[in-house]
Amino acid sequence: MLEIKDLTVTYHTNTSLVCAVNNVSFSVKKGESVGIMGESGCGKTTLAMAVMGLIQDADISGKILFNNDNLLAIPEKKLNQYRWKKIAIVFQNSLEVFNPVLTIGEQIIEPMRTHAALSLKKADIRMRYLLELTGLDPEWANGYPHQMSGGMRQRALIAMAISCDPKFLIIDEPTTSLDPESRDSILRLIKELQKRIGFSLIMISHNLSALREMTSTVMTMCCGQIVEQGITADVMRNPMHCYTRGLIDASPDFFKYKDLWGIRGTIPQNTQSNGCAFYSRCCQAGENCKNQRPILQYVSVERKVACHKGGIETLLEVYGIQKTYLLKDRKIPAVKDVDLNIKSGEIVALIGKSGSGKSSLAHILVNLLSPDKGEIFFMGKKVKGFKVTKKIGGMQIVFQDPFSSTSHRMRVLDVVNEPLDIMKWKTAEERNIKSMAAISMAGLPCSDDFLQRYAHTLSGGQRQRLSMARALVTGPRLLIADEVTSMLDPSSSANLLRELKGLQNIHGFSMLYITHDFHLARKVANRAYVMSEGRIVESGPSFEIFERPVHPVTISLMNSSFSKKEQKKRKKG
Amino acid sequence: MIFFQGKKSRVIEYLFTIWVIFTLNFFLPRTMPGDPFLFISADEEGEEVAQFSEEQRNYYMAYYGLDRPLYSQYFSYFSDLSKGYLGYSLYYNQPVTIILLHRLPWTLCLVMTAVILSTVIGIVLGGFCAVYADRWEDRLLYFMLIAISEIPAFLVGLVLLFFFAAGMGLFPLSGAMTHFSGYDGFMEKTGDILHHAALPVIALTLTRISGIFLLTRSSIITVLTKTYIKTARAKGISGQRIFIKHIFRNAMLPIVTRVFLSLGSLVGGAILVENVFAYPGLGKLMRDAVMMHDYPLIQGIFLMVTISVLSANFIADLVYKKLDPRISDAAAADGH
Repeated sequence: MLEIKDLTVTYHTNTSLVCAVNNVSFSVKKGESVGIMGESGCGKTTLAMAVMGLIQDADISGKILFNNDNLLAIPEKKLNQYRWKKIAIVFQNSLEVFNPVLTIGEQIIEPMRTHAALSLKKADIRMRYLLELTGLDPEWANGYPHQMSGGMRQRALIAMAISCDPKFLIIDEPTTSLDPESRDSILRLIKELQKRIGFSLIMISHNLSALREMTSTVMTMCCGQIVEQGITADVMRNPMHCYTRGLIDASPDFFKYKDLWGIRGTIPQNTQSNGCAFYSRCCQAGENCKNQRPILQYVSVERKVACHKGGIETLLEVYGIQKTYLLKDRKIPAVKDVDLNIKSGEIVALIGKSGSGKSSLAHILVNLLSPDKGEIFFMGKKVKGFKVTKKIGGMQIVFQDPFSSTSHRMRVLDVVNEPLDIMKWKTAEERNIKSMAAISMAGLPCSDDFLQRYAHTLSGGQRQRLSMARALVTGPRLLIADEVTSMLDPSSSANLLRELKGLQNIHGFSMLYITHDFHLARKVANRAYVMSEGRIVESGPSFEIFERPVHPVTISLMNSSFSKKEQKKRKKG
Repeated sequence: MIFFQGKKSRVIEYLFTIWVIFTLNFFLPRTMPGDPFLFISADEEGEEVAQFSEEQRNYYMAYYGLDRPLYSQYFSYFSDLSKGYLGYSLYYNQPVTIILLHRLPWTLCLVMTAVILSTVIGIVLGGFCAVYADRWEDRLLYFMLIAISEIPAFLVGLVLLFFFAAGMGLFPLSGAMTHFSGYDGFMEKTGDILHHAALPVIALTLTRISGIFLLTRSSIITVLTKTYIKTARAKGISGQRIFIKHIFRNAMLPIVTRVFLSLGSLVGGAILVENVFAYPGLGKLMRDAVMMHDYPLIQGIFLMVTISVLSANFIADLVYKKLDPRISDAAAADGH
């Protein structure tokens, strides 16, 4: 029905060209609902304006085909035959979206008189009907925009948009500035109207849960480019572009308990670069991402992603790991047939009771234990020996007990230098500089005095930070954190975890966060694996695992962690 | 009830303003140096100047009640006013009311014509420039009108008089009608009046256009950026309707206020222009009255001007409320 081909909109400012929509193509079928998400300023609204033919002071190229008529080639006057009758828009709600000096009724009647050539009387009757249909008192026909509340205005905007029974409706941010109750009723209203009138829908929003409710397919826009496209439920559950994942992570209604972290960096101002729009903020950016724009292409059925790496990379793939300890004559199975994968830039929690095999698995991953069976791939290559842990940008582990994991007979600087020394990385001088950077990154002082202290003089919290510095000094792509905070007091633990998450957000490394503390896991994890008796019993996005667990083991673990009794007690208290 | 309260306070506001102005009206002329009987003439043309003796002067002062203490004069002024009596001109020997009614139509004719002309031309030019903003047509007009607005009205009048009346003889030099001419019909009389009024009206209009022009231009440019204009365009209604109902309807709000509020300053401009063209309106009358220290006449003229400015404000209030629904709601809220 609507097909957009290579649409580019370029605004001229005094000093430069701003490309608000950059080579966008997509199509919307009859009756379909398509969502567009993205941060403010990503070009969503410009795209809508371009479809309505409302952009005057910009260069527009490409094609906007509506039932095979190219709207961009139609002169302004003829465009009026399409506007409102065929394509209507619900503008983003603001006080000035209505003419302040005309009554609501007059403004709703206006297009009907033009397009449906209704007599004033008939138009008036229909207008009152529309107001009622959208849940407003028809008396509002004589009201002025400034007399309405935001929610009422949103309803009036919708009433105006459907006045000519459009075939196609664009809705721009229908839920911003509305309270949750009016938000829900507005969304319900739009759904009902769509059933009744049968229009196709483009819904623009940065509210992801609204999009999830309303649309069947969704697109992510970043700096005027579409970077991901797919079925809404799939995209929200398993985003494949780092930008989409960032948007989902930043939505509090998706992860109720997770700490809020926005996408690092800000929207780049220079949108004319030839590279990937998300390059400067991406956690897996490579050289070709800078200079070459990735094409939006299929990475799986019904999913398109614009990324040179084919979407979010999978850093670690683990297949069929088995490990059995032998105690005299007894065999104790520790890890049973575990599959696991970790993508770039995400925090995966591995949760389970103590003794469920979590640490054994972690040790196997970094080759401190050899598995009886199974294969491990890091960045697509099979892991052999210590190759992966012995390189810059590899895999590192931080252990539970800092007192045994750092030698108390070594000086602070030497502890951190050690991995570099083993790698024989550059010169001693450069190693010192890199180590000092890692030490301050881990939140430790960098004074000469401190660097020369022996590890045994440090406190527990400092020792744990020291082992973190040792892991971070190699700039790992994947950090395995095995119960890193369990030996610390709550305050040190909170500080350490927040700093670790902050570092992760800035540097974009991935983390396997192994813990039995579900409260902490719920605060940081994107995804979670639940382990019990050596097996992975359940896995999924953390908003599913923590809120709607399916496996009985997970349910019982959740119940004991977030116990109902405790909540009741608190209520009574 | 709320609405009523809002109105009530408004009325009190107006009454207070009127009282302050009446009082000023009374005291201001009396603070001028000299008194009416330093010079007085019995002749209406005011050419003949008679010198009064001390005795005569005292006699006249007593006759007109000017020897009484100020407060007593003040009270009798108010009691006269309340009866609608404006006093008796010392110089013209006629009731002030009669003189005013005789002169008022001329000034009204000048001022109203100038207001209408300047408003219409200003809006048309301003609208044109707003639509073609930043093109050469806009820049040229903008520059020209800014330049004209800097010239005071009487200077424009003098230049017009010099070129078109004195130089080319296209227009009469002074007056509002040709003296002693018997007109053959209504048309001829009207033609003669228009002929006389043309230059003063042009002078007044020219100096007023730029204000309206600038306001219209910026007002329309502002309105054009508003979201509701996008809404209107998206609705696919005709360009004409968008301009009238959405652009102009909103852009005219500040213009209406400006036109009504500028009526007061326009009377000021009229005084100078009328004197340049020796046009027999209130402006020229005021100058004469001030020269002659004709207290009752000065008071009468000021009163007239005051009332017209106040009623212009009042009408502006009413019209604005009709035009902008937001204002009446705000006024109602004030009454709380």
